[in-house]
Amino acid sequence: MSKFIIRRALGLIPTMLIIITVCFFLIRVAPGGPFSSEKKIPPQIMKNIEAKYHLDEPLVMQYGRYVVNVIRGDLGPSYKYKDYDVNYYIGEGLPKSLLLGTLSILLALILGMAAGMFSALRQNTWVDYTWMSFAVVGISVPTFVLGPILMFIFSINLKWLPVAGWLDEYGVAALVLPVVTLFYQYFATIARLSRASFLEAIRSDYVRTAKAKGLKTSYIMMKHVLKGASLPVVSYLGPAFSGIITGSIVVEQIFRVPGLGRHFVQSAFNRDYTMIMGTVIVYSLILVIMNFLVDVLYGYLDPRISYS
Amino acid sequence: MSDVILRVDDLKTYFNTDDGIVKAVDGVSFELKKGEMLGIVGESGSGKSVTNLSLMKLIPSPPGKIMNGTAMFDGENIFDMSDEEIRKLRGNRIGMIFQDPMTSLNPFLRISTQMIETIVLHQKLEKDAARNRAVEMLEMVGIPNPEKRINDYPHQFSGGMRQRVMIAMALSCDPEILIADEPTSALDVTIQAQIIEVIQELSRKLNTAVIMITHDLGVVAGICDTVCVMYAGRIVEKGTNDEIFKDPKHPYTQGLIKSVPRLDQPSKERLFSIDGQPPNVIDLPECCPFHPRCDKAMAKCKNTYPPLTTFGEGREVRCWLYEEDK
Amino acid sequence: MSTKVVNELNQEVKGVSLWMDAWRRLRKNKMAMGGLVVMIIYAVISLSAGLLPIYSYKQQVLEHQYLPPSTRPAGELLIEKKVELLSAFAAKEGRELNAVELEEIEELKERIATETKVLLTGEEVKVHERVYYLGTDELGRDLLARIIYGGQVSIMIGLIGALASMIIGVVLGALSGYIGGAFDSLLMRFVDIMYSLPYMLLVIIMMSMFGKNIMNLFFALAIVSWLTVCRVVRGQIISLKNAEFVEAARASGAGTWRIVLRHLIPNTMSVIVVYTTLRVPSFIMLEAFLSFLGLGVQAPYASWGVLIHDGVYAMTTYPWMLWFPAIVMTLFLFSMNFFGDGLRDALDPQSKNKL
Repeated sequence: MSKFIIRRALGLIPTMLIIITVCFFLIRVAPGGPFSSEKKIPPQIMKNIEAKYHLDEPLVMQYGRYVVNVIRGDLGPSYKYKDYDVNYYIGEGLPKSLLLGTLSILLALILGMAAGMFSALRQNTWVDYTWMSFAVVGISVPTFVLGPILMFIFSINLKWLPVAGWLDEYGVAALVLPVVTLFYQYFATIARLSRASFLEAIRSDYVRTAKAKGLKTSYIMMKHVLKGASLPVVSYLGPAFSGIITGSIVVEQIFRVPGLGRHFVQSAFNRDYTMIMGTVIVYSLILVIMNFLVDVLYGYLDPRISYS
Repeated sequence: MSDVILRVDDLKTYFNTDDGIVKAVDGVSFELKKGEMLGIVGESGSGKSVTNLSLMKLIPSPPGKIMNGTAMFDGENIFDMSDEEIRKLRGNRIGMIFQDPMTSLNPFLRISTQMIETIVLHQKLEKDAARNRAVEMLEMVGIPNPEKRINDYPHQFSGGMRQRVMIAMALSCDPEILIADEPTSALDVTIQAQIIEVIQELSRKLNTAVIMITHDLGVVAGICDTVCVMYAGRIVEKGTNDEIFKDPKHPYTQGLIKSVPRLDQPSKERLFSIDGQPPNVIDLPECCPFHPRCDKAMAKCKNTYPPLTTFGEGREVRCWLYEEDK
Repeated sequence: MSTKVVNELNQEVKGVSLWMDAWRRLRKNKMAMGGLVVMIIYAVISLSAGLLPIYSYKQQVLEHQYLPPSTRPAGELLIEKKVELLSAFAAKEGRELNAVELEEIEELKERIATETKVLLTGEEVKVHERVYYLGTDELGRDLLARIIYGGQVSIMIGLIGALASMIIGVVLGALSGYIGGAFDSLLMRFVDIMYSLPYMLLVIIMMSMFGKNIMNLFFALAIVSWLTVCRVVRGQIISLKNAEFVEAARASGAGTWRIVLRHLIPNTMSVIVVYTTLRVPSFIMLEAFLSFLGLGVQAPYASWGVLIHDGVYAMTTYPWMLWFPAIVMTLFLFSMNFFGDGLRDALDPQSKNKL
């Protein structure tokens, strides 16, 4: 097992390298980028960039420098704002985005699995129908529709919650709407997924065997069903992380959360390429590590996975 | 007769489907004596598995429902028992093994966990004692190196070995009845004989009555004391092993026996087979459901179901041929 | 077919063609059929948008900005607004409307009754007689027209995106699965890496680098979205490749192309159809997501995402600008998801023999 973990962990390095490489070259070919001369760039920034990347050197050298810098944790200067570098923005935005994302995925996981399990146990009863209607709504209503509507109802009309802002201004109340908006879709998907897999597990031969042994239903659920039924949910976590990242971009936009997603969109508008590149690398790193953890968890849950 | 431990009377189990009501079991009655080995033979869809799942109240419901009948076990009707009471029977006094050993064991749990939980539940043993009991059972069913293998997961065993584990698990609480639902159908031919042997040997040793469900007459022939032949949800013929094989009465049984390949058969002769398909048991009209495939069919067979004809103790047939005689 | 096929026991024997069987089950699923009906309605409206008696989606009438939804002509609403405004003004000073103000209202009435405007189409109309059933936006454009034409754009992006990703995915997946070897492992490695990139970010980067227009949007979406189809098809092909019926076909001398065309493609078809159907709403969402961030469809074109984006900024005072596009889009996504789910259940062979 530990061998498998180490091998998988080492596998992350080439993936990250490829992502960094793709980012580096994509931005060099971009029309109007910081490295092409057609666009007017404030001289101060141009000087910073030149100093950083040694633009007079051959491309391979520049690439080498960039990779070394990234590995050392230095993502370079912002192409738009001369006084700040990319690290500053990421250091400022990332904790907020992480808080939002982690809360959402945890809630989605816990509530989604619970909803799926109860729906499966009470298949075709009002419990099932209620949860599943909730879930269908969640899958069909996009984040950017749900967010504004919630804001309209709870912030503007009822004035229960702040319209926009962050912890420092409004405390925990500021988190409610962004988290609900972000978590709903993943809650919905996980609920439907786990309902299906709980149903499958409940109807499986091995559960029939467990019943034929005289075991109690509650015991069968916890000991025999839960493990197998959670596997599809675990493998959905990878795409879910990716979706949460994208979703957080929208949510931060709607609720004016000064997180990484907002900086990212801003830099996409400004064509602040160094900033874009840095954000993508950070996002990818998070995603790659999460996928790795999911793999390890899956291997732990399913004894049939071989580690050779 | 005090040595009868299970008496099933007029059992009917129906399934509600989109296409109509499936009368999977439609009036089945039989008796099981202490230590007896009873064979239930029939094609797939004849209701033999549903009969025995009904006895354990393991019919998925909905859509399945036990509509009628009694199953007297040790003076009590199983169908009247509460969930609590029936759980005390399952795995404890009635053990069960299933067709597919690949899927019947939980792939996510160690063999030790799956065996020990049953023993702890019913025998009220401590974990260590239960473990010893489990190892003992595994040894009895012929698993080599059981102290070590008990810690393995199901996928680390071969099909035959898994079925041995299932047998060990089903017998671990010393049940009075073992229901074996097609225990060999999913296995290689060479393994089949071994598994049958294990079941036969252990049931004798532990004095367990066995209900052996199979579509393979060959399995029944060697070992069963009594045989029931099922067709379209009903028992069409019942008798001792000798009676069924030496003197089959129902044309279906005759066909089944003729279609078993025999070594002493002249090589030029074609293997016999029963024409046609088993009927669909949805909305079955009032008739003998075997008549389209029967070469002795009469006009009567097409509109009335044949009554039960008895020839002495425990010898029964449902066919118009024998009503004529009387 | 009116003649029933019966067996010896007088029981009906039903045909078991996969698609017939699926259709029979789909028809029983009320939610899926409801979804299908709604989808057809949307499709008809979108296709015939040019023929419908609606205004142009880009016609601006600045004086008509932010008119609420109403069945009355814009002129009446304008007069009402004016009267309200002046009355409020007068009430503040604690008096009735004075002569100057009444005069002003009369002038407005006069002007509204007669004023004409040359539209983009070149025709000259009495502009204040226009009726805006769903209200107008900040440039005085008809929201109804914008929602219908926006739907055209959104649905088109959904369809083309899903089709393009399906074609790329099916071709690459089938090749990868069938050829195997180095090609397969290389392609799959690439897919793995693409998977570990948050692909929306990639789309955002591409849109910001190559300019925000519909063609680039298609291009960017198609590039990142074939991965899953490719994997699914590859998996299917590999499991089918070793299936007995394919071996039987090979044993009886069928060639590679024949096997692919006659055996493999039909057998993966149901998976592909279901997946493509379920992809359409997700493409619509993707486009709307980008447009919402301001990186998608650009003015004067509209899409549902653009309209919702505009609606969010105006919702405090002009909530209809959010509600209508949001409801219209959500209803469509709902229907497509229900239909896709129903289709999947209907085509899933595993559910076939379930009691």
